[in-house]
Amino acid sequence: MSRAIPSGPGQAANAQARLKAPAIDKMEAKLSKASRALNASPIQEISHLAQRCGAINLAEGFPDFPAPPQVKHAAVAAIAADLNQYRHVQGICDLLAVKMKQNHVLDFDPLTDFVICCGQSEAFAATILATIDQGDEVLIFDPAYETYESCIILAGGIPLELRISQVYVPLDPPYWTLNVDKFMRSFTGRTKAVVLNRSLNEEKIGCIKETNYNSYSPHNPTGKVFSKEELEVIAAACCQMDCLAITDEVYEYITFDTHKHLSIASLPMMKERTIITSSLSKTFSVTGWRIGWACAPTAIASAIRNIHIKITDSAPAPFQEAALAALQSPPEYFSSLKADYVARRDFLIKMLSEVGFQVHNKPQGSVFIFAELPKTCLLCDVSELSPATFPFIDFVKELIEKAGVAAVPGRGFFHGDCNDLTQQSRYVRFAFCKSNDTLSAADQKMRSCVGK
Amino acid sequence: MPLLSLANPSSPAGHEMLLLRSASVFRSVSRRISTVRMAAISTSGEKGASPAGQVQLPPSPPPVQVAKRLENFKTTIFTQMSLLAIKHGAINLGQGFPNFDGPEFVKEAAIEAIKEGKNQYARGYGVPELNSAIAERFKKDTGLQVNPEKEVTVTSGCTEAIAATILGLINPGDEVVLFAPFYDSYLATLSMAGAEVKSVTLCPPDFAVPLDELKSVVTKKTRAIMINTPHNPTGKMFNREELEVIASLCIENDILVFTDEVYDKLAFEAEHISIASLPGMYERTVTMNSLGKTFSLTGWKIGWAVAPPHLTWGFRQAHSFLTFSTSTPMQWAASVALRAPDTYYEELKRDYLAKKAILVEGLKAAGFIVYPSSGTYFVMVDHTPFGFENDITFCEYLITEVGVVAIPTSVFYLNPEEGKSLVRFTFCKDEHTLRAAVERMKERLHKR
Repeated sequence: MSRAIPSGPGQAANAQARLKAPAIDKMEAKLSKASRALNASPIQEISHLAQRCGAINLAEGFPDFPAPPQVKHAAVAAIAADLNQYRHVQGICDLLAVKMKQNHVLDFDPLTDFVICCGQSEAFAATILATIDQGDEVLIFDPAYETYESCIILAGGIPLELRISQVYVPLDPPYWTLNVDKFMRSFTGRTKAVVLNRSLNEEKIGCIKETNYNSYSPHNPTGKVFSKEELEVIAAACCQMDCLAITDEVYEYITFDTHKHLSIASLPMMKERTIITSSLSKTFSVTGWRIGWACAPTAIASAIRNIHIKITDSAPAPFQEAALAALQSPPEYFSSLKADYVARRDFLIKMLSEVGFQVHNKPQGSVFIFAELPKTCLLCDVSELSPATFPFIDFVKELIEKAGVAAVPGRGFFHGDCNDLTQQSRYVRFAFCKSNDTLSAADQKMRSCVGK
Repeated sequence: MPLLSLANPSSPAGHEMLLLRSASVFRSVSRRISTVRMAAISTSGEKGASPAGQVQLPPSPPPVQVAKRLENFKTTIFTQMSLLAIKHGAINLGQGFPNFDGPEFVKEAAIEAIKEGKNQYARGYGVPELNSAIAERFKKDTGLQVNPEKEVTVTSGCTEAIAATILGLINPGDEVVLFAPFYDSYLATLSMAGAEVKSVTLCPPDFAVPLDELKSVVTKKTRAIMINTPHNPTGKMFNREELEVIASLCIENDILVFTDEVYDKLAFEAEHISIASLPGMYERTVTMNSLGKTFSLTGWKIGWAVAPPHLTWGFRQAHSFLTFSTSTPMQWAASVALRAPDTYYEELKRDYLAKKAILVEGLKAAGFIVYPSSGTYFVMVDHTPFGFENDITFCEYLITEVGVVAIPTSVFYLNPEEGKSLVRFTFCKDEHTLRAAVERMKERLHKR
């Protein structure tokens, strides 16, 4: 599968040509070739291996602990109370408007500025379909999720409006800082939007190949939170270039230490050009409920709503009702959510560091740690399990087989410069959205099996 | 002609609210549907917060305008009518969803799933148990054996299945044939995909497919034909002869079929036939369905598509972008629902037949010309005996003076003129509601 080429105006046209989807032909022979290419997924192999070995799964980005009881109860009550037909629950918009005011000092009209969707996924898709034309360029920060790119490239049937060039703006390791130069040089006359993937620089794995993976792994590989200064640079560029900013803020309540979630929409002159997307999923540990939203100025929200109505028409009714209960959770809920995740993060960092991984930066948010392989760990010989297998995968495989812990290879989150393959191949991503029991068990196994 | 706008989709049946009066306006709107340019920013000379470094930005492009279509959005006819209905306390036989609830055993299954913690992401193309249940049901209904892992995909309702089918398999410029009157999301989504739409109209009294016209419209350039059977809004069911003609046209010209069969269990006067089961058709058909209508749980948003692997591939591409995965607890409940015994379906039909009888008799007694409806929970009638100019003025009168809501059908046609004498009633309401509505109409409607 082709990867996005490095950013640069001159290459944008080439990128678009290369990203042009193959013509969808109904003859099975041609299509199955493409689908064979898709199926060679290292993550799929890992997933199956992890299952076979009964490994502890620190790869999946969703919790193995239960959702808050009051939220589940609200959903159960809604089903029992016959709230099961098509609904639009306006109360969600009212509550979200209050939160926007409280958290970001932003005024949104609950009657017109919110679109309730089937998850942040749909909110994002509807936003893209509503705002992006054929030939438009969209800036996305790297490391990011490659499979968003794949979705768009390989979804050849999706209208030309979506055959956009995704221009990747590499962030600088080891702290994944915004390189202002690289960023500014990525803009062209065709740039339509900048995507702030999960305001914590995260995007989700949404590709077809992940549909074969046993679990869905949205992720933020680096756990980075953009600083205010970085957001100001991005904002200034958006204003100057008259671009939209599309944000994914699903981890808005899972930020750590002194890092408060700051939405770019709250910066000067950004509200009118920002579309915020988010969901209940991470905040309330209900990733499978599919309740998300887009929040934007009225005219844009209206366009997004029109698209949404054609895509799914409405979000699951009982969970919309439960969202009312969730969004009315007291402040203590949010503070203990954060505290619990901080504890888990610190526990995992300690464990990883003590067995030799290098955690260059403590994640500032989200539920993932991006760690570099222990120095003493030599990459295994490259074994060609399949053409798509990368060398680093051998470490992850060993981790599963010997230590009984599953993680995600970091290579898949990078794009662009292939000379850096060795460097990029040394990262592994661990999730800590797991119960204390799970993390303790992982700790025991790692200590006994990995190390000097 | 007022354009539609959905500034506040207060009605749950949002899809029925989002219709345009004029087909030509619609097409121009749809082409621009993904264009949103920001209004000029008056302070374009300022740069906002200054960047950390001394970076020279390229000269700014000229300011852009808000898309014209957004400026023109007005409240739709349906939003207006809904508001009127509430204001006048009208009985709503317009909305296409029940005012009674789904079966306990399915609701309990969802509640169990939630309590058991099945609240995290499901596999993108469906919870395995549901994929299997769908495959089993499909085998029972059509005789076709399909692979649940490779040929079944679960979506957020049939609406998403339609969107994923069209966005996943239709390229801009592709010709697609529709039968009018059609469910509004077909046209909207086809326009989003840049398709060239051709429609063949089904006319009263029996809404039969005009086979000669169809043969003249379908050519080698046709990419797909969309079928909805049993058919909303007419209640027509495509019969074997019609399907065989469509099939032979498809095979001869190498055309795909997208078939929406959400009302397949509400087949009253005829046998439901899935075109995928005809010889040579499975390999070129996407068969779509959902939980909502069969189990009176329209708000759960569980739908699916069954298609051969080479079509499923394109479908799943689009699906993975659109919503990625579908609500987990509801999928578990759906797998229980689909294994319901035959008695469930028999009782469902009996109940709906009783409701239909109340409505049809009442509509006839009130003076409508009632067209026979073989399936779905809709009935199409001709309102012209009451002397109104068109379907919309009639429906407005029906709300304000009679106290009943029906849907004007002109919005379901490419050419609205074709529908102006027809309105659609639904009988997916409890019997008390139906009787009350019928009484009002008998009392207050007067022929002119």
